[in-house]
Amino acid sequence: MHLTDEQLNEYVDNETNEREQIELHLHLCDECSKRFSDLQNLFLELDSLPDLQLTRDLSTRFISSGGLIQQPPRWLTLTVFAQAALALIALIISIPVITTYIPQIDTNSLMTPLFEIQSLWNTWLDSLSTLQLPTIPEFPIPIIEMSSLLLALAGIFVLWILGNGLLLRNQIRR
Amino acid sequence: MNAPTDRDLILRAKRGDSEAYGEIVTRHQTSVFNVCYRILHNRSDAEDLAQETFMRAYNRLNTFDIEREFAPWIRRVAANLCLNFLESQKTSTQLDDERDEDKSQSPSGQVEVKERSEKIRQALASLPSNYRLVVELRHYQEMSYDEIANELKIPLSDVKSHLFRARKLLAEKLHAPD
Ligand SMILES: [Zn+2]
Repeated sequence: MHLTDEQLNEYVDNETNEREQIELHLHLCDECSKRFSDLQNLFLELDSLPDLQLTRDLSTRFISSGGLIQQPPRWLTLTVFAQAALALIALIISIPVITTYIPQIDTNSLMTPLFEIQSLWNTWLDSLSTLQLPTIPEFPIPIIEMSSLLLALAGIFVLWILGNGLLLRNQIRR
Repeated sequence: MNAPTDRDLILRAKRGDSEAYGEIVTRHQTSVFNVCYRILHNRSDAEDLAQETFMRAYNRLNTFDIEREFAPWIRRVAANLCLNFLESQKTSTQLDDERDEDKSQSPSGQVEVKERSEKIRQALASLPSNYRLVVELRHYQEMSYDEIANELKIPLSDVKSHLFRARKLLAEKLHAPD
């Protein structure tokens, strides 16, 4: 009985548990040892296959700017919302300050639409102020307005530096 | 100064250094492309899938165990992608007609070697795709029967029968007169 294809293949692949029997047979049988060496030659031929060269460099996609954009950390993306919220607060606070300066500008054509917007804002602010919690004590109005406006602006500035600065860091480094 | 090891580069890439990853790609792209080419036998598909392999690997870098060798891992990712690609192409029989010949230039002294390797490639290309995959994983990625069965999600008996038949077919092709 000659070796089966399965026995021979498992033997060359080092996946057999009848090693000794197979080796003994190979030693005695010319036909099977010829099949064995044919198989080994096939392995050598497969191993001899040279690598083909690429026609393009696959690394450029990773190295060139605008290639891979790293996912920013989650807290960094949250600063965008914080910036928007603070900007809105600053805008609301600044409205009364701006309105005190607007009457000083003497351009009637500009004033009419501005007054309309201003009255819209004022009515909105009025409705907003009625929503205010009654527990808030009355502070001297200009002081709280100016200081909180500056605080909000400083907050936006810091968040802008953090958010946009860090987001752009990778591109600046290149 | 010594060149950084793969391990160093991957650690840097894990921290988001895409340039370090670019260096990794430079080192392994030929081997990954050849995995794809041996399975697909179509240069443009092989290049696209090699690129895709590195993109996928970059996104999955946090799952890569830094204590392991990168080369076998990335070749396995490539083989897997090619397998999925072949499965998605299964319905069309176009693939077999689109296999291209190796048209790259070689010095005249190497013509014989080149003819021989072209014959090997042709023989590989003539195999059914599932045989070709098993040959790739066994001969070029040196995986065990069990590992191949796991990778391709096929029974061990299929791994053996595909591999043994593939070898028989290859031997016939390679020893047939031109
Ligand atoms: Zn025998």
